[in-house]
Amino acid sequence: MPSRSNIQAELKPARKPAAAMIEIDHVSQTFQTSGRQNHLALSDISLTIEDGAFVSILGPSGCGKSTLLYIVGGFVNPTQGLAKVKGRAITGPGPDRGPVFQEFALFPWKSVLGNVMYGPRQQGVRPAEAEAQSRALIEMVGLKGFEDFYPKELSGGMKQRVALARTLAYHPAVLLMDEPFGALDAHTRTRLQNDLLNIWERDRKTVLFVTHSVEEAVFLSDKVVMLTRGPGRIRQIVDIDLPRPRRRTELLLDPRYQKYLVDIERMFDDADENELPP
Amino acid sequence: MISARAVLARATPVLACLGLLAVWQATSLVLNNDSFPTAIEAIRAIPLILGDKEALINILASLRRMAIGFGVAVAMSIPLGLMMGRSRTVASFFNPLLMVIYPVPKAALMPIIMLWLGVGDIAKTLVIFLGVSLPVIYHSFAGAKAVEEKMLWSGAAMGLSAAQRMTRIVLPAALPEILTGCRTGLVLALITMITSEMIARQSGAGNILFNALDMGQYDTVFAMIIIVGAMGIGLDALFEKMRARLVKWSEPQFDIPVSFS
Ligand SMILES: Nc1ncnc2c1ncn2[C@@H]1O[C@H](COP(=O)(O)OP(=O)(O)O)[C@@H](O)[C@H]1O
Ligand SMILES: [Mg+2]
Repeated sequence: MPSRSNIQAELKPARKPAAAMIEIDHVSQTFQTSGRQNHLALSDISLTIEDGAFVSILGPSGCGKSTLLYIVGGFVNPTQGLAKVKGRAITGPGPDRGPVFQEFALFPWKSVLGNVMYGPRQQGVRPAEAEAQSRALIEMVGLKGFEDFYPKELSGGMKQRVALARTLAYHPAVLLMDEPFGALDAHTRTRLQNDLLNIWERDRKTVLFVTHSVEEAVFLSDKVVMLTRGPGRIRQIVDIDLPRPRRRTELLLDPRYQKYLVDIERMFDDADENELPP
Repeated sequence: MISARAVLARATPVLACLGLLAVWQATSLVLNNDSFPTAIEAIRAIPLILGDKEALINILASLRRMAIGFGVAVAMSIPLGLMMGRSRTVASFFNPLLMVIYPVPKAALMPIIMLWLGVGDIAKTLVIFLGVSLPVIYHSFAGAKAVEEKMLWSGAAMGLSAAQRMTRIVLPAALPEILTGCRTGLVLALITMITSEMIARQSGAGNILFNALDMGQYDTVFAMIIIVGAMGIGLDALFEKMRARLVKWSEPQFDIPVSFS
Protein backbone atom coordinates (compact mmCIF):
# COMPACT_ATOMS: atom_id res chain seq x y z
CA MET A 1 0.00 0.00 0.00
CA PRO A 2 2.18 2.81 -1.26
CA SER A 3 -0.34 5.58 -0.55
CA ARG A 4 -0.57 4.69 3.13
CA SER A 5 3.18 4.70 3.65
CA ASN A 6 3.33 8.14 2.06
CA ILE A 7 0.88 9.50 4.57
CA GLN A 8 2.85 7.89 7.38
CA ALA A 9 6.00 9.52 6.14
CA GLU A 10 4.34 12.89 6.14
CA LEU A 11 2.87 12.57 9.62
CA LYS A 12 5.96 11.12 11.18
CA PRO A 13 9.09 12.74 9.76
CA ALA A 14 11.76 10.18 9.07
CA ARG A 15 13.60 9.37 12.29
CA LYS A 16 17.31 10.02 12.42
CA PRO A 17 19.13 6.72 11.93
CA ALA A 18 18.71 4.96 15.25
CA ALA A 19 21.91 5.71 17.14
CA ALA A 20 22.35 4.47 20.69
CA MET A 21 22.20 7.36 23.16
CA ILE A 22 22.40 5.30 26.32
CA GLU A 23 23.77 1.80 26.70
CA ILE A 24 23.35 -0.07 29.94
CA ASP A 25 25.53 -3.14 29.94
CA HIS A 26 25.00 -5.89 32.55
CA VAL A 27 24.52 -3.41 35.37
CA SER A 28 23.92 -4.68 38.91
CA GLN A 29 23.69 -2.65 42.08
CA THR A 30 24.23 -3.91 45.61
CA PHE A 31 23.71 -1.66 48.63
CA GLN A 32 25.34 -2.09 52.00
CA THR A 33 22.54 -1.66 54.50
CA SER A 34 22.76 -1.65 58.27
CA GLY A 35 20.37 -4.60 58.77
CA ARG A 36 20.65 -6.81 55.73
CA GLN A 37 24.32 -6.41 54.91
CA ASN A 38 24.13 -6.89 51.15
CA HIS A 39 20.97 -5.82 49.44
CA LEU A 40 20.67 -6.46 45.72
CA ALA A 41 18.65 -3.61 44.23
CA LEU A 42 19.26 -4.20 40.51
CA SER A 43 20.32 -7.40 38.84
CA ASP A 44 21.99 -7.68 35.46
CA ILE A 45 20.23 -4.91 33.55
CA SER A 46 21.11 -4.52 29.88
CA LEU A 47 19.28 -1.95 27.84
CA THR A 48 19.91 0.31 24.89
CA ILE A 49 18.05 3.58 24.49
CA GLU A 50 18.06 5.14 21.07
CA ASP A 51 18.60 8.81 20.41
CA GLY A 52 15.29 10.64 20.51
CA ALA A 53 13.35 7.81 22.14
CA PHE A 54 10.94 8.26 25.01
CA VAL A 55 11.52 5.25 27.23
CA SER A 56 9.74 4.51 30.49
CA ILE A 57 10.99 2.31 33.30
CA LEU A 58 7.93 0.75 34.90
CA GLY A 59 7.80 -1.32 38.03
CA PRO A 60 6.47 -1.57 41.57
CA SER A 61 7.86 0.62 44.33
CA GLY A 62 11.28 -0.52 45.56
CA CYS A 63 12.21 -2.46 42.42
CA GLY A 64 15.21 -0.26 41.68
CA LYS A 65 13.82 2.21 39.14
CA SER A 66 15.35 5.26 40.79
CA THR A 67 18.64 3.44 41.27
CA LEU A 68 18.81 2.70 37.55
CA LEU A 69 18.11 6.35 36.73
CA TYR A 70 20.75 7.52 39.23
CA ILE A 71 23.28 5.22 37.58
CA VAL A 72 22.59 6.76 34.18
CA GLY A 73 22.75 10.21 35.80
CA GLY A 74 26.17 9.35 37.23
CA PHE A 75 24.99 9.99 40.78
CA VAL A 76 25.49 6.35 41.76
CA ASN A 77 28.28 4.10 40.53
CA PRO A 78 27.04 0.62 39.69
CA THR A 79 28.69 -2.19 41.64
CA GLN A 80 28.83 -4.22 38.44
CA GLY A 81 28.55 -3.48 34.77
CA LEU A 82 28.86 -0.26 32.83
CA ALA A 83 26.58 2.48 31.60
CA LYS A 84 27.48 4.61 28.60
CA VAL A 85 26.16 7.81 27.10
CA LYS A 86 26.96 8.50 23.44
CA GLY A 87 29.46 5.65 23.63
CA ARG A 88 31.42 7.09 26.55
CA ALA A 89 31.45 5.41 29.95
CA ILE A 90 29.52 7.32 32.61
CA THR A 91 31.77 8.26 35.52
CA GLY A 92 29.78 11.08 37.05
CA PRO A 93 27.02 13.64 36.51
CA GLY A 94 27.24 15.94 33.51
CA PRO A 95 25.20 18.53 31.66
CA ASP A 96 24.45 16.04 28.86
CA ARG A 97 22.06 14.27 31.27
CA GLY A 98 19.53 16.49 33.03
CA PRO A 99 17.61 15.08 36.00
CA VAL A 100 14.10 16.04 37.09
CA PHE A 101 13.30 14.62 40.52
CA GLN A 102 10.01 13.80 42.19
CA GLU A 103 11.09 16.10 45.05
CA PHE A 104 11.63 19.03 42.60
CA ALA A 105 14.93 19.94 44.35
CA LEU A 106 14.62 23.59 43.33
CA PHE A 107 17.01 26.12 44.84
CA PRO A 108 14.70 27.80 47.39
CA TRP A 109 16.84 30.96 47.66
CA LYS A 110 16.46 31.65 43.94
CA SER A 111 13.39 32.99 42.20
CA VAL A 112 11.78 31.02 39.37
CA LEU A 113 13.90 32.99 36.90
CA GLY A 114 17.02 32.52 39.05
CA ASN A 115 16.47 28.77 39.14
CA VAL A 116 16.02 28.46 35.39
CA MET A 117 19.00 30.74 34.65
CA TYR A 118 21.28 28.80 36.98
CA GLY A 119 22.37 26.14 34.48
CA PRO A 120 23.00 28.45 31.50
CA ARG A 121 24.92 30.88 33.73
CA GLN A 122 27.01 27.99 35.02
CA GLN A 123 27.71 27.06 31.43
CA GLY A 124 29.01 30.55 30.76
CA VAL A 125 26.06 31.94 28.81
CA ARG A 126 26.04 35.73 29.18
CA PRO A 127 23.47 37.10 31.66
CA ALA A 128 21.25 38.90 29.16
CA GLU A 129 21.15 35.93 26.84
CA ALA A 130 20.57 33.45 29.67
CA GLU A 131 17.73 35.59 30.94
CA ALA A 132 16.04 35.85 27.56
CA GLN A 133 16.27 32.08 27.01
CA SER A 134 15.02 31.39 30.51
CA ARG A 135 12.06 33.70 30.18
CA ALA A 136 11.08 31.93 26.98
CA LEU A 137 11.35 28.55 28.70
CA ILE A 138 9.28 29.73 31.65
CA GLU A 139 6.61 30.81 29.22
CA MET A 140 6.82 27.46 27.44
CA VAL A 141 6.13 25.54 30.67
CA GLY A 142 3.17 27.83 31.32
CA LEU A 143 4.55 30.00 34.13
CA LYS A 144 4.62 33.41 32.49
CA GLY A 145 4.11 36.01 35.18
CA PHE A 146 5.70 33.91 37.92
CA GLU A 147 9.33 34.75 37.09
CA ASP A 148 9.96 36.56 40.37
CA PHE A 149 8.18 34.10 42.65
CA TYR A 150 10.18 32.03 45.12
CA PRO A 151 9.69 28.24 45.14
CA LYS A 152 7.87 28.37 48.49
CA GLU A 153 5.23 30.53 46.83
CA LEU A 154 4.40 27.89 44.19
CA SER A 155 2.14 24.84 44.16
CA GLY A 156 3.59 21.36 43.59
CA GLY A 157 2.64 21.33 39.93
CA MET A 158 4.22 24.75 39.38
CA LYS A 159 7.40 23.67 41.14
CA GLN A 160 7.70 20.67 38.86
CA ARG A 161 7.22 22.94 35.83
CA VAL A 162 10.07 25.10 37.10
CA ALA A 163 12.23 22.02 37.67
CA LEU A 164 11.58 20.90 34.10
CA ALA A 165 12.39 24.36 32.72
CA ARG A 166 15.53 24.55 34.85
CA THR A 167 16.76 21.27 33.38
CA LEU A 168 15.75 22.06 29.80
CA ALA A 169 17.60 25.38 30.12
CA TYR A 170 21.04 23.79 29.85
CA HIS A 171 20.06 21.65 26.88
CA PRO A 172 20.83 18.14 28.13
CA ALA A 173 20.83 15.50 25.40
CA VAL A 174 18.96 13.18 27.76
CA LEU A 175 16.18 13.99 30.21
CA LEU A 176 16.15 11.76 33.29
CA MET A 177 12.78 12.00 35.00
CA ASP A 178 12.18 10.13 38.26
CA GLU A 179 8.45 9.89 38.94
CA PRO A 180 8.27 13.63 38.28
CA PHE A 181 4.48 13.74 38.56
CA GLY A 182 4.16 11.19 41.36
CA ALA A 183 3.60 13.75 44.11
CA LEU A 184 0.92 15.67 42.22
CA ASP A 185 -2.86 15.37 42.22
CA ALA A 186 -4.49 13.50 39.32
CA HIS A 187 -5.66 16.61 37.50
CA THR A 188 -2.30 18.40 37.66
CA ARG A 189 -0.54 15.18 36.70
CA THR A 190 -2.64 14.80 33.56
CA ARG A 191 -2.00 18.39 32.52
CA LEU A 192 1.73 18.07 33.05
CA GLN A 193 1.83 14.82 31.08
CA ASN A 194 0.14 16.57 28.16
CA ASP A 195 2.47 19.54 28.39
CA LEU A 196 5.53 17.32 28.65
CA LEU A 197 4.54 15.52 25.45
CA ASN A 198 3.95 18.83 23.67
CA ILE A 199 7.36 20.10 24.72
CA TRP A 200 8.99 16.80 23.79
CA GLU A 201 7.39 16.84 20.34
CA ARG A 202 9.34 20.03 19.53
CA ASP A 203 12.87 18.69 19.79
CA ARG A 204 12.45 14.99 20.63
CA LYS A 205 15.14 14.73 23.23
CA THR A 206 15.95 11.30 24.56
CA VAL A 207 13.86 10.78 27.70
CA LEU A 208 14.29 8.15 30.38
CA PHE A 209 11.14 8.34 32.44
CA VAL A 210 10.60 6.41 35.67
CA THR A 211 7.06 5.70 36.78
CA HIS A 212 4.96 3.12 38.60
CA SER A 213 1.84 4.06 36.63
CA VAL A 214 1.05 1.78 33.68
CA GLU A 215 -1.21 4.40 32.15
CA GLU A 216 1.42 7.12 32.35
CA ALA A 217 4.07 4.85 30.83
CA VAL A 218 1.89 3.80 27.88
CA PHE A 219 0.58 7.30 27.23
CA LEU A 220 4.02 8.89 27.07
CA SER A 221 6.44 6.28 25.77
CA ASP A 222 7.80 4.67 22.66
CA LYS A 223 9.03 1.83 24.76
CA VAL A 224 8.12 0.55 28.22
CA VAL A 225 10.75 -1.37 30.17
CA MET A 226 9.04 -3.48 32.82
CA LEU A 227 11.11 -4.37 35.87
CA THR A 228 10.36 -7.23 38.25
CA ARG A 229 9.72 -6.73 41.94
CA GLY A 230 13.10 -6.19 43.66
CA PRO A 231 15.79 -7.08 42.90
CA GLY A 232 14.94 -5.36 39.65
CA ARG A 233 15.47 -7.40 36.52
CA ILE A 234 14.13 -6.61 33.08
CA ARG A 235 10.88 -8.52 32.84
CA GLN A 236 9.76 -7.43 29.41
CA ILE A 237 10.22 -4.58 26.98
CA VAL A 238 7.01 -3.48 25.29
CA ASP A 239 7.12 -1.27 22.18
CA ILE A 240 4.22 1.16 22.24
CA ASP A 241 3.18 1.56 18.66
CA LEU A 242 0.68 4.39 18.93
CA PRO A 243 0.58 7.41 16.63
CA ARG A 244 2.02 10.75 17.67
CA PRO A 245 1.25 13.46 18.50
CA ARG A 246 -0.89 11.71 21.09
CA ARG A 247 -4.11 13.14 22.43
CA ARG A 248 -5.41 11.68 25.64
CA THR A 249 -9.04 11.85 24.57
CA GLU A 250 -8.29 10.05 21.31
CA LEU A 251 -6.18 7.43 23.00
CA LEU A 252 -8.83 6.63 25.56
CA LEU A 253 -11.09 5.53 22.70
CA ASP A 254 -8.31 3.66 20.91
CA PRO A 255 -8.56 -0.12 21.43
CA ARG A 256 -4.81 -0.47 20.85
CA TYR A 257 -4.11 1.81 23.80
CA GLN A 258 -6.56 -0.16 25.95
CA LYS A 259 -4.91 -3.40 24.90
CA TYR A 260 -1.47 -2.17 25.96
CA LEU A 261 -2.84 -1.24 29.37
CA VAL A 262 -4.53 -4.58 29.85
CA ASP A 263 -1.56 -6.60 28.59
CA ILE A 264 0.87 -4.85 30.89
CA GLU A 265 -1.44 -5.08 33.91
CA ARG A 266 -1.82 -8.81 33.20
CA MET A 267 1.92 -9.32 33.09
CA PHE A 268 2.30 -7.72 36.51
CA ASP A 269 -0.61 -9.81 37.87
CA ASP A 270 1.03 -13.01 36.62
CA ALA A 271 4.30 -11.98 38.18
CA ASP A 272 2.63 -11.38 41.52
CA GLU A 273 0.95 -14.78 41.44
CA ASN A 274 4.21 -16.48 40.67
CA GLU A 275 6.29 -14.62 43.21
CA LEU A 276 4.00 -14.22 46.19
CA PRO A 277 3.09 -17.19 48.39
CA PRO A 278 -0.66 -17.95 48.30
CA MET B 1 -8.56 46.13 63.19
CA ILE B 2 -5.40 44.69 61.70
CA SER B 3 -3.68 48.06 61.95
CA ALA B 4 -4.71 48.34 65.60
CA ARG B 5 -3.06 44.99 66.20
CA ALA B 6 0.06 46.16 64.32
CA VAL B 7 0.25 49.32 66.41
CA LEU B 8 -0.11 47.25 69.55
CA ALA B 9 2.63 44.89 68.39
CA ARG B 10 5.00 47.83 67.88
CA ALA B 11 4.11 49.46 71.17
CA THR B 12 4.38 46.32 73.26
CA PRO B 13 8.19 46.39 73.82
CA VAL B 14 8.05 50.06 74.77
CA LEU B 15 5.18 49.44 77.16
CA ALA B 16 7.02 46.48 78.68
CA CYS B 17 10.11 48.64 79.29
CA LEU B 18 8.07 51.44 80.84
CA GLY B 19 6.25 48.93 83.05
CA LEU B 20 9.53 47.41 84.19
CA LEU B 21 10.94 50.85 85.03
CA ALA B 22 7.77 51.76 86.93
CA VAL B 23 7.96 48.58 89.01
CA TRP B 24 11.64 49.27 89.66
CA GLN B 25 10.96 52.86 90.68
CA ALA B 26 8.15 51.83 93.06
CA THR B 27 10.11 48.95 94.60
CA SER B 28 13.20 51.01 95.28
CA LEU B 29 11.11 53.82 96.82
CA VAL B 30 9.44 51.31 99.12
CA LEU B 31 12.67 49.53 100.06
CA ASN B 32 14.61 52.78 100.39
CA ASN B 33 17.94 50.92 100.30
CA ASP B 34 21.28 52.59 99.41
CA SER B 35 22.36 49.72 97.17
CA PHE B 36 19.12 49.87 95.17
CA PRO B 37 18.82 53.28 93.50
CA THR B 38 15.58 54.33 91.86
CA ALA B 39 15.14 53.94 88.13
CA ILE B 40 15.28 57.70 87.68
CA GLU B 41 18.60 57.95 89.53
CA ALA B 42 20.06 55.19 87.38
CA ILE B 43 18.82 56.77 84.15
CA ARG B 44 20.26 60.13 85.25
CA ALA B 45 23.68 58.48 85.61
CA ILE B 46 23.67 57.23 81.97
CA PRO B 47 24.58 60.58 80.33
CA LEU B 48 27.34 61.03 82.93
CA ILE B 49 28.93 57.73 81.87
CA LEU B 50 28.48 58.32 78.16
CA GLY B 51 29.79 61.85 78.54
CA ASP B 52 32.94 60.68 80.28
CA LYS B 53 35.75 60.27 77.77
CA GLU B 54 37.51 57.56 79.78
CA ALA B 55 34.33 55.51 80.13
CA LEU B 56 33.50 55.93 76.47
CA ILE B 57 36.95 54.71 75.43
CA ASN B 58 36.46 51.71 77.70
CA ILE B 59 33.08 50.85 76.22
CA LEU B 60 34.34 51.28 72.66
CA ALA B 61 37.33 49.05 73.44
CA SER B 62 34.89 46.40 74.68
CA LEU B 63 32.83 46.67 71.52
CA ARG B 64 35.93 46.42 69.37
CA ARG B 65 37.06 43.21 71.10
CA MET B 66 33.58 41.85 70.71
CA ALA B 67 33.44 42.71 67.01
CA ILE B 68 36.83 41.10 66.33
CA GLY B 69 36.05 37.99 68.41
CA PHE B 70 32.66 37.61 66.76
CA GLY B 71 33.91 38.32 63.24
CA VAL B 72 36.85 35.91 63.37
CA ALA B 73 34.72 33.23 65.01
CA VAL B 74 32.02 33.48 62.35
CA ALA B 75 34.54 33.53 59.50
CA MET B 76 36.20 30.35 60.78
CA SER B 77 33.18 28.49 62.15
CA ILE B 78 30.92 28.63 59.10
CA PRO B 79 33.38 26.86 56.74
CA LEU B 80 34.23 24.30 59.43
CA GLY B 81 30.57 23.62 60.22
CA LEU B 82 29.67 23.29 56.54
CA MET B 83 32.53 20.88 55.90
CA MET B 84 31.52 18.82 58.92
CA GLY B 85 27.98 18.71 57.58
CA ARG B 86 29.02 17.40 54.17
CA SER B 87 31.95 15.14 55.03
CA ARG B 88 31.63 12.26 57.43
CA THR B 89 35.41 12.18 57.90
CA VAL B 90 35.62 15.82 58.94
CA ALA B 91 32.60 15.41 61.20
CA SER B 92 33.94 12.35 62.98
CA PHE B 93 37.22 14.14 63.59
CA PHE B 94 35.82 17.37 65.04
CA ASN B 95 32.61 16.12 66.67
CA PRO B 96 34.18 14.52 69.78
CA LEU B 97 36.37 17.57 70.25
CA LEU B 98 33.42 19.94 70.10
CA MET B 99 31.29 17.75 72.35
CA VAL B 100 33.91 18.12 75.05
CA ILE B 101 34.29 21.89 74.61
CA TYR B 102 30.59 22.68 74.14
CA PRO B 103 29.31 22.47 77.75
CA VAL B 104 32.37 24.17 79.29
CA PRO B 105 31.56 27.81 80.19
CA LYS B 106 34.12 29.68 78.14
CA ALA B 107 34.69 32.26 80.89
CA ALA B 108 35.89 29.41 83.11
CA LEU B 109 38.86 29.11 80.77
CA MET B 110 39.69 32.75 81.40
CA PRO B 111 42.17 32.15 84.27
CA ILE B 112 44.26 29.78 82.15
CA ILE B 113 44.10 32.05 79.14
CA MET B 114 45.12 35.01 81.31
CA LEU B 115 48.00 32.99 82.65
CA TRP B 116 49.26 32.30 79.12
CA LEU B 117 48.28 35.45 77.26
CA GLY B 118 48.06 38.08 79.99
CA VAL B 119 45.06 40.28 80.79
CA GLY B 120 45.14 42.31 77.58
CA ASP B 121 43.05 42.39 74.44
CA ILE B 122 44.22 39.05 73.09
CA ALA B 123 43.04 36.99 76.05
CA LYS B 124 39.64 38.66 76.17
CA THR B 125 39.11 38.49 72.43
CA LEU B 126 40.03 34.81 72.48
CA VAL B 127 37.37 34.06 75.08
CA ILE B 128 34.77 35.87 73.00
CA PHE B 129 35.94 33.91 69.96
CA LEU B 130 35.50 30.63 71.83
CA GLY B 131 32.07 31.63 73.09
CA VAL B 132 30.82 32.53 69.61
CA SER B 133 32.40 29.63 67.69
CA LEU B 134 30.47 26.72 69.10
CA PRO B 135 26.88 27.74 68.34
CA VAL B 136 27.94 28.93 64.88
CA ILE B 137 29.78 25.67 64.13
CA TYR B 138 26.92 23.61 65.46
CA HIS B 139 24.21 25.40 63.47
CA SER B 140 26.30 25.47 60.27
CA PHE B 141 26.90 21.75 60.72
CA ALA B 142 23.20 21.01 61.20
CA GLY B 143 22.24 23.28 58.29
CA ALA B 144 24.73 21.70 55.88
CA LYS B 145 23.74 18.20 56.91
CA ALA B 146 20.09 18.91 56.15
CA VAL B 147 20.73 20.09 52.58
CA GLU B 148 18.72 17.91 50.24
CA GLU B 149 20.99 15.61 48.27
CA LYS B 150 18.94 15.98 45.08
CA MET B 151 19.69 19.71 45.17
CA LEU B 152 23.42 18.92 45.08
CA TRP B 153 22.86 16.39 42.34
CA SER B 154 20.99 18.98 40.29
CA GLY B 155 23.98 21.29 40.72
CA ALA B 156 26.43 18.55 39.78
CA ALA B 157 24.46 17.86 36.60
CA MET B 158 24.78 21.54 35.70
CA GLY B 159 28.55 21.17 35.99
CA LEU B 160 29.25 22.63 39.45
CA SER B 161 32.46 21.30 40.97
CA ALA B 162 32.55 20.01 44.54
CA ALA B 163 33.90 23.34 45.80
CA GLN B 164 31.27 25.30 43.85
CA ARG B 165 28.52 23.09 45.26
CA MET B 166 29.80 23.97 48.73
CA THR B 167 29.79 27.74 48.25
CA ARG B 168 26.90 28.05 45.82
CA ILE B 169 24.46 25.42 47.07
CA VAL B 170 25.30 24.24 50.60
CA LEU B 171 26.07 27.74 51.90
CA PRO B 172 22.90 29.47 50.67
CA ALA B 173 20.70 26.47 51.47
CA ALA B 174 22.04 26.34 55.03
CA LEU B 175 22.00 30.12 55.50
CA PRO B 176 18.81 30.31 57.61
CA GLU B 177 20.26 27.80 60.07
CA ILE B 178 23.70 29.48 59.99
CA LEU B 179 22.19 32.86 60.82
CA THR B 180 20.25 31.36 63.72
CA GLY B 181 23.61 30.20 65.07
CA CYS B 182 25.14 33.63 64.48
CA ARG B 183 22.32 35.30 66.39
CA THR B 184 22.95 33.06 69.40
CA GLY B 185 26.66 33.75 68.92
CA LEU B 186 26.10 37.50 69.01
CA VAL B 187 24.34 37.38 72.37
CA LEU B 188 27.03 35.03 73.68
CA ALA B 189 29.69 37.47 72.46
CA LEU B 190 28.20 40.19 74.64
CA ILE B 191 27.95 37.87 77.62
CA THR B 192 31.53 36.61 77.30
CA MET B 193 32.75 40.15 76.68
CA ILE B 194 31.37 41.39 80.03
CA THR B 195 32.37 38.21 81.85
CA SER B 196 35.94 38.37 80.59
CA GLU B 197 36.20 41.98 81.76
CA MET B 198 34.85 41.04 85.16
CA ILE B 199 37.59 38.45 85.51
CA ALA B 200 40.44 40.41 83.93
CA ARG B 201 39.69 43.77 85.53
CA GLN B 202 41.75 46.11 83.45
CA SER B 203 39.48 47.95 81.05
CA GLY B 204 36.13 47.71 79.36
CA ALA B 205 32.44 48.03 80.15
CA GLY B 206 32.53 45.18 82.64
CA ASN B 207 35.39 46.89 84.46
CA ILE B 208 33.46 50.16 84.82
CA LEU B 209 30.55 48.22 86.26
CA PHE B 210 32.62 46.42 88.88
CA ASN B 211 34.71 49.43 89.80
CA ALA B 212 31.52 51.33 90.50
CA LEU B 213 30.31 48.43 92.61
CA ASP B 214 33.55 48.47 94.62
CA MET B 215 33.20 52.19 95.21
CA GLY B 216 29.54 51.96 96.18
CA GLN B 217 28.36 54.08 93.22
CA TYR B 218 25.19 52.09 92.83
CA ASP B 219 23.51 54.46 90.38
CA THR B 220 26.49 53.94 88.03
CA VAL B 221 26.23 50.15 88.47
CA PHE B 222 22.60 50.17 87.44
CA ALA B 223 23.23 52.68 84.66
CA MET B 224 25.92 50.37 83.25
CA ILE B 225 23.53 47.43 83.41
CA ILE B 226 21.02 49.46 81.39
CA ILE B 227 23.71 50.47 78.86
CA VAL B 228 24.94 46.91 78.39
CA GLY B 229 21.38 45.61 78.18
CA ALA B 230 20.49 48.25 75.60
CA MET B 231 23.57 47.33 73.57
CA GLY B 232 22.45 43.69 73.57
CA ILE B 233 18.91 44.52 72.57
CA GLY B 234 20.08 46.95 69.89
CA LEU B 235 22.62 44.57 68.35
CA ASP B 236 20.16 41.70 68.38
CA ALA B 237 17.44 43.80 66.75
CA LEU B 238 19.87 45.00 64.10
CA PHE B 239 21.05 41.49 63.39
CA GLU B 240 17.50 40.16 63.26
CA LYS B 241 16.59 42.80 60.71
CA MET B 242 19.54 41.83 58.51
CA ARG B 243 18.78 38.11 58.94
CA ALA B 244 15.14 38.53 57.98
CA ARG B 245 16.18 40.36 54.83
CA LEU B 246 18.78 37.76 53.83
CA VAL B 247 16.51 34.73 54.23
CA LYS B 248 13.22 36.24 53.13
CA TRP B 249 12.88 33.28 50.79
CA SER B 250 12.69 30.77 53.63
CA GLU B 251 10.28 32.48 56.02
CA PRO B 252 6.93 30.72 56.48
CA GLN B 253 4.34 31.89 54.02
CA PHE B 254 1.39 32.33 56.32
CA ASP B 255 2.13 34.32 59.41
CA ILE B 256 -1.18 33.68 61.11
CA PRO B 257 -1.15 32.52 64.71
CA VAL B 258 -3.12 29.31 65.23
CA SER B 259 -4.27 30.04 68.76
CA PHE B 260 -4.97 33.22 70.75
CA SER B 261 -8.13 33.94 68.78
N1 LIG C 1 21.40 4.41 49.27
C1 LIG C 1 20.79 3.23 49.51
N2 LIG C 1 21.24 2.43 50.52
C2 LIG C 1 20.65 1.25 50.75
N3 LIG C 1 19.62 0.76 50.07
C3 LIG C 1 19.13 1.49 49.07
C4 LIG C 1 19.68 2.76 48.73
N4 LIG C 1 18.98 3.27 47.68
C5 LIG C 1 18.03 2.35 47.39
N5 LIG C 1 18.10 1.28 48.21
C6 LIG C 1 17.27 0.08 48.15
O1 LIG C 1 17.26 -0.39 46.82
C7 LIG C 1 15.97 -0.77 46.43
C8 LIG C 1 15.54 -0.02 45.20
O2 LIG C 1 15.37 1.34 45.54
P1 LIG C 1 14.85 2.41 44.48
O3 LIG C 1 15.75 2.42 43.33
O4 LIG C 1 14.65 3.68 45.20
O5 LIG C 1 13.43 1.80 44.06
P2 LIG C 1 12.23 2.50 43.29
O6 LIG C 1 12.68 3.80 42.78
O7 LIG C 1 11.86 1.52 42.22
O8 LIG C 1 11.11 2.63 44.28
C9 LIG C 1 15.07 -0.57 47.62
O9 LIG C 1 14.88 -1.82 48.27
C10 LIG C 1 15.83 0.38 48.49
O10 LIG C 1 15.57 0.13 49.83
MG1 LIG D 1 12.00 5.76 43.23
